[in-house]
Amino acid sequence: MPGLYAGLYVGLSGLKAQQSALDVVGHNIANVNTPGYTRQRATLAANQGQTEGQVYFGTGVSLTSVQGVRDKFLDLQIYQETARQTGANERLAGVTTVSTTLGNTGTTGLAAQIQNFFQGFQDLAAHPESSASRTNLLGQAQTMITGMQAQYRMLADQRNSDDQSVASLVTEVNALTDQIAQLNQRITGSVPKGSDSDAVDQRKTVTDSLAALVGINVSESINGDYQITLDSGSAVLVSGNSSFKLQTSPGGAALDNHLAVQSVMGASVVDVTGSIKNGQLGGKLDLRDNILAGYQRQLDQIAAGVAGQVNLLHRTGIAADGVTTGNDFFRTGVANGANGLPPSITAASFYKGMVNTLTVNAAVSANPSLIAAAGVAGVVGDNANANAIAKLQLATATVDTNGDGAGDSGPYSTSVGSLISDVGTTVQKWDAQNTTQQNLVTALQAQRDSVSGVSLDEEATNMMTLQRGYQASARFISVINQLTDELVNSFGK
Amino acid sequence: MSIRTVPSTLNRQSLLDLQRTNERLANNQQRISSGNRLVNPGDDPAAAAAIVDLGNSIEANNQFLKQIDSATSYLSPSEDAVNAAVNANMRLQELAVGAGGSTLSAADRASYLTEIDSIRTNLVSIANTQSQGKYLFAGKLTTTVPFTDAVPPALPAYNGDQGHINLDVTATQSVATNIPGDQVFANGGPGSASNFFQAIADLRVGITSNNLAQIQTASNNLTSVLDNLNQVLAELGGRQAGLLALKDTLSGFNVSLQSLQNTKQDTDYPQAAVEYSSDQTAQSATLSSMAKISKTNLFDYLA
Repeated sequence: MPGLYAGLYVGLSGLKAQQSALDVVGHNIANVNTPGYTRQRATLAANQGQTEGQVYFGTGVSLTSVQGVRDKFLDLQIYQETARQTGANERLAGVTTVSTTLGNTGTTGLAAQIQNFFQGFQDLAAHPESSASRTNLLGQAQTMITGMQAQYRMLADQRNSDDQSVASLVTEVNALTDQIAQLNQRITGSVPKGSDSDAVDQRKTVTDSLAALVGINVSESINGDYQITLDSGSAVLVSGNSSFKLQTSPGGAALDNHLAVQSVMGASVVDVTGSIKNGQLGGKLDLRDNILAGYQRQLDQIAAGVAGQVNLLHRTGIAADGVTTGNDFFRTGVANGANGLPPSITAASFYKGMVNTLTVNAAVSANPSLIAAAGVAGVVGDNANANAIAKLQLATATVDTNGDGAGDSGPYSTSVGSLISDVGTTVQKWDAQNTTQQNLVTALQAQRDSVSGVSLDEEATNMMTLQRGYQASARFISVINQLTDELVNSFGK
Repeated sequence: MSIRTVPSTLNRQSLLDLQRTNERLANNQQRISSGNRLVNPGDDPAAAAAIVDLGNSIEANNQFLKQIDSATSYLSPSEDAVNAAVNANMRLQELAVGAGGSTLSAADRASYLTEIDSIRTNLVSIANTQSQGKYLFAGKLTTTVPFTDAVPPALPAYNGDQGHINLDVTATQSVATNIPGDQVFANGGPGSASNFFQAIADLRVGITSNNLAQIQTASNNLTSVLDNLNQVLAELGGRQAGLLALKDTLSGFNVSLQSLQNTKQDTDYPQAAVEYSSDQTAQSATLSSMAKISKTNLFDYLA
């Protein structure tokens, strides 16, 4: 049987354990609004007993560990879904920005401008002698060109701004992977490994930020450190205590002189521009290299369809002087090829650059009488060619969409319509995906909160329990004290 | 066992819901204020593309309607001119009958010449009628004066050509907006019975040479000229009637296309208003419940 003094120590262990556990409650309450904080739980365990003969006597309690209450697989899943959500959100935002202009279905949209241009030819057919209708036609052509170029430039501006974000996002990614590598070290260095719950929380928060920037795959090793790769698996970002940087470098003509993203692992430098699918970075790269570039391509194709077809007919017509023929309506300083397009514009490149080189022939705009309305030489009132060109607006197979050099579309309005519907479908797709991912991430976060979040009700209850425990232990010490007093002062009097 | 629900969960979910409600409110607000169902093309990509296509058809029809007006603006003055020529022809027939009277002296006959000459001069100006800067009866040589007057027995020369100026009035149909002047005023060329100028010249020669038989021939020829003019009138009238019918068809077609476009484009006001007010209710309910829930926890009740 242990002595009275041993009883004092039992009581003391109770006081200390309850008080330490109360500290944990206090820490939880203090962090109730800290983002990413994981509630901690104190584990109390009975001390090893003492044997007196065949009887075991307890020696009180001690606080054996303070642990974060977390579900690490939930964290890994949240990283992945967060990256998908920010990627979808980025694409949605980017496409929405350009969609109101590109998707203009009204009288100021591209379809209406192309139509007005051809109506200019129809008006000319009604009055081939009139210089007013020639000037009007040139004005309509200029409006159409300006409209196309404004849309094209808006897309180019958007791509450039995405490109600038790529550079700054890469810098942010490097800063975050650095921090994660350091936190890995802190976590695996704590004894026992992984017991530094606040460091684990901090790493979770930093990794959340990283996932928002770039699509990643995270796995946790037995040691408790994070291994992070790009979601495509093509490059390692963090491995144990080391982080590997991403860097940007000029991407040349293949990327329209935008930046390429590379992964640097020691001496090996790998291009990962096309392998980042998610996160803000993935979204920006997809917008820059695929989505917006695709819209520019469609504009180029439409412009080539208009310019090529009009030129082919226009060069066979006769100008107002009744003699001059062989002029193109659209041309730059360099003569057009047999297909009516500038030699620098090729079908194989899907007419890249057509919109930017689209100009009314300088000779024609300086002298509108060169517009070839007539189909017969020497006949001033003939309008056969103007009629033929005006008919193009309802003709099919005027736009080449597959780059084989032959038209394969409906009328121009169908090509513009399909551009608009492309933009719309893309908005719709990423909007739906963004909403779905948002729901998923919110549900996962709610699940994580339900495991790891601080509930004030729960803390209040724990606090009361611990307070009572502390009071009872104190009471016990006071009883032992009374017993000792009895023994020392009253015994034997 | 219930699921642990902590305040941050409630706040996050309510915030997300509030943001979505606000977005819907803003979209419906824009639908209501702009009258346009499609706030952005992502709302209904297929409809957006269809609106463009329908708009294209409507505008193409509008342009055809304009071309019909243009064509009419040439055909209608041509008809007026030919009508004037018909009147001149009738007056000449009266004069021919008068001058052909067997009891008239040579001097009396000669007195008809002044009016016949002035009618001929008028007829040349009628044949040289212009509309919007174009000579109507010069074929495709619309800037060339079609007829230059000549002193009888020479005939006014035709300087135009045989061309027809066609305007497209539908995607597949075109209409000629002119009739070459020689077919109207000098049909068949010099010597032909239905050549108006030849008949006038013959009449004049008959009167000056006091040749009753020639006056009679000229008078008969004037009747053939009238037949020809009437044929031309019928042709011009027929073309305009066709255009008028086409105009009705195209306008009617546009009305249905427009209403089709409207159903794709216009805001469904009752639906937008109902959605708007239910979102408003949801918004205010969320706000007030958020305020209440976050107020309470156990600490409020501990001494």
